[in-house]
Amino acid sequence: MSSETSAGAPLIVNDVVCGFCGLGCDDLVVEVAGREVRPKASVCPEAARLLRRLDTADEAGPAADEVYDRARRLLDAARAPVFAGLGADIDGGRAILDLAIRHGGVLDHAASDGLFANYAAVQRTGWLSTTLAEVRNHCDVLLVIGEDPTAAFGRFFERALPAEALFTASRHVIVLGGSLGASARRQLGGATVTELAADDPVAALAALGQMVSGPAPRGASFGGATAEALAEAAAALKGAAYAVAVWNAAALDPADLIAERATRLVDALNVTTRAGVFPLGGRDNVTGINQLLLWRLGYPLRTAIRGEASEHDASLYATGAALKDADLLVWVSAFRPEPPPAFDGPVIVIGHPDIECATPPDVFIPVGTPGVDHAGTVFRMDSIVSLPLGALRVATLPSVAEAVRRLVPVR
Amino acid sequence: MRIRLRGGRVLDPANRENAVARDVEFVDGRVVAPTGERADAEYELGGAIVMAGGIDLHSHIAGGKMNLARLLMQEDRRAYPEKILPQMSGSFCGCGGGRAVPTAHATGCRYAELGYTTVFEPAMLGANARAAHLEMADIPNLDTGAYLVLGNDDFILRQIAQGAPQEEINAYVGWMLKATQAFAIKIVNPGGINAFKFNARKLDLDEANPHYEVTPRKVLTTLIRAVTELGVPHPIHLHGCNLGVPGNDETTLATIAATEGRRLHLTHLQFHSYGTEGDRRFSSAAARIAEMVNANPNISVDVGQVMFGQTVTASADYMSQYRNRGLANPKKSIGMDIELDAGCGVVPFEYRDKNFVNALQWAIGLELFLLVEDPWRIFLTTDHPNGGPFTTYPHLIRLLMDRDFRNAQLATLNKTAQAHTLLGQITREYSLEEIAILTRAAPARILGLADKGHLAPGAVADIAVHDENADREAMFSKAKLVFKDGRLIVRDGEVVDLAPGTTHVVRTEFDTAIEGKLDAWFDRTVGLKAKHFRLSDGELRGGRGPTVLNCVGGAS
Repeated sequence: MSSETSAGAPLIVNDVVCGFCGLGCDDLVVEVAGREVRPKASVCPEAARLLRRLDTADEAGPAADEVYDRARRLLDAARAPVFAGLGADIDGGRAILDLAIRHGGVLDHAASDGLFANYAAVQRTGWLSTTLAEVRNHCDVLLVIGEDPTAAFGRFFERALPAEALFTASRHVIVLGGSLGASARRQLGGATVTELAADDPVAALAALGQMVSGPAPRGASFGGATAEALAEAAAALKGAAYAVAVWNAAALDPADLIAERATRLVDALNVTTRAGVFPLGGRDNVTGINQLLLWRLGYPLRTAIRGEASEHDASLYATGAALKDADLLVWVSAFRPEPPPAFDGPVIVIGHPDIECATPPDVFIPVGTPGVDHAGTVFRMDSIVSLPLGALRVATLPSVAEAVRRLVPVR
Repeated sequence: MRIRLRGGRVLDPANRENAVARDVEFVDGRVVAPTGERADAEYELGGAIVMAGGIDLHSHIAGGKMNLARLLMQEDRRAYPEKILPQMSGSFCGCGGGRAVPTAHATGCRYAELGYTTVFEPAMLGANARAAHLEMADIPNLDTGAYLVLGNDDFILRQIAQGAPQEEINAYVGWMLKATQAFAIKIVNPGGINAFKFNARKLDLDEANPHYEVTPRKVLTTLIRAVTELGVPHPIHLHGCNLGVPGNDETTLATIAATEGRRLHLTHLQFHSYGTEGDRRFSSAAARIAEMVNANPNISVDVGQVMFGQTVTASADYMSQYRNRGLANPKKSIGMDIELDAGCGVVPFEYRDKNFVNALQWAIGLELFLLVEDPWRIFLTTDHPNGGPFTTYPHLIRLLMDRDFRNAQLATLNKTAQAHTLLGQITREYSLEEIAILTRAAPARILGLADKGHLAPGAVADIAVHDENADREAMFSKAKLVFKDGRLIVRDGEVVDLAPGTTHVVRTEFDTAIEGKLDAWFDRTVGLKAKHFRLSDGELRGGRGPTVLNCVGGAS
């Protein structure tokens, strides 16, 4: 898929893999003309925005040696660095982890809030989950908790519930506590959609779970949803051959309770039929970096390496909390121009050249984007499937891995 | 670089050397015939036992289910923190920790300390192959390889249901082996994981899948034929139907009969050797099953010995794991349907010696070890971490080699279980030579690794040296020296260096006409393109690529 491009005719590249939102689309069509990448087909609005990088002018050059020297001095002087953002492919993640092992410090990702809201449920009781291809072919009733997922995952319904499925002829989407927009409805085609208003989705979901598992709770409405509508939804879920519950923890509050109630609902459904949770999330390879930490350190994100050991604490080592005790922020964001959070101490940014910081960072090392400037591996939101990103154009900036490895003096 | 080991006793069953006093010499990572030339390094062994590096043919060391287990069992990680490696200047190598589900580095280091240098992950899902290989690349000091799980994937079940010719199935298997960079084919609960997706809660050997109407027997015989005809050295590696269910002895016996003389490896046989006799309707069928294994030279087995203590079970067999999740300790578990491919279930478990079932499981495993006669057809495993962590191997070796020790352990177990096992009457003790067969020579042979598991000239210089000790647990707990590809990685039981391993894969010939069908299947049905599912060689071992074993097919 990598394409040498010169000033010649624009090149159409098919089957481009996208690493931005975590849905793992791999059928994008783009046109590459010199440094420009233009979306042509099968590209959601978010990917289109991120593929069209603004660094097409020649202003964004690679960082000079002195910049790396300055970064090294800051790292050597730091006693408690925080490595955050971590928007990088797996190879970039490996390099950052090696650096963190060398210097000590806390590791967290910019998109980990949703992940840890879900982990609150999964680490307490576990859960029964499923993956995209199963949803595509088995799911006859999909419960969406919260607002339309299309906002964050532009092609969700097209990818999860295509018109043709191996094992079901009908699709029924129940939206609890939200409504679907025009794009979602277009993608869903002939599927049946039921929208169930709820001002307190946690209470509504809890009632739904009770209706599925046993005698219905007493009351006329739960969390703003009528008992009657919830009972209908419960009957649809129980009657499903394969029900799936989705929610985007990053967009919900309190997401941990939503995850817990959804987990319980799916547990109850599996007593008599089949069902799975399918939590949405995973932007900027948060899933992949988390997986990497699990096999390298034995802990997920929000882990601190101190001295000769590492320890995990989902609250204490969240970026915001960790920065309170930090003396250096190393911010990595290669997929999008996401600025670092406010921090009083020195800041090293290894990121997208278009990042605009409120205060200029002490060190800025511009890097290319995985899947645009260089190849790399990212994980899909389900944590099972990972994808090979290709390069669309000749890189003029280093990858995260290349930049970070330059920060380690050769022994 | 020429290295000489002097004054050791060579235990190399593949070459019929049983504690032969001679020097061992290797040059640039390969064993050579001993010479009189000056060596770059010499080690005086003082009569220590010299063997090829250990080979574990069934241990769950990488892949998504292990990460789910790590996530679920943070208490295991916290209880076993980083081990400082003093001989590596106290430098923190990022080795992590954990016992039931150690990190990649800890896996490589703990195995190396025991004298192991090659380990196979026995349940890699195609959908998760890229992740499994990324993880294996981070395991130091071990060569690895992975068995691809097939037989629950909707593609092959459709093929079989539609009566596809065997050649087309072989083409699919050959393509999948290459695409996922696998070394052998594993079947887990043939068709059962798939049937669970259609809400079947069990599937016997001759029971039809509710959707495809294909039986596990058909899946098994079709895939046995495929690997035979493709020339894959390792036979089908089977985790059979009805894991853990009392009465599954009948299924196991019927499965052996179903092979009709073709080669088959039955993995973690202990979990498939349960009868229904007695008040508790749970009994040992080890004697019956061992007898059938003894009578069928086409069958090989590994035991999946249960070792007491806390562990976590992780399996592709979501159907069985869902059934067993009520037994979870601590009370939490994860299940997952995966990608029209298979599934996974993670259930923490504590095997307790005072528990009737657990104690009898322990005895059944040992009965199998002691009643299966041919050491070349039985392998030493705990199905790490499912029966117990691999770090318990030295204890297991002592149980096999020391009858008094074994009987003393037995006497401390649940009393009813003691009354239900004939273990106390079995006098057999394994010899050192037999242990060397089980843990190196035989696995190399059944995997088709011609340059491993022995110490003849040309062999890979993966070498383990152990001081002789009457306490076999102590002897095997700490290797005196371990060399990986000729490089010293362990001294006196401590890791002193981290050597990069390689990953073994097989390649077979196959009819590439299958690719058109697979392109359409992946694109339309799976929602991922076949070309993105497939792994390139450069994706393995940080760009170094795999070690390829080319298979010669044609047999049937």
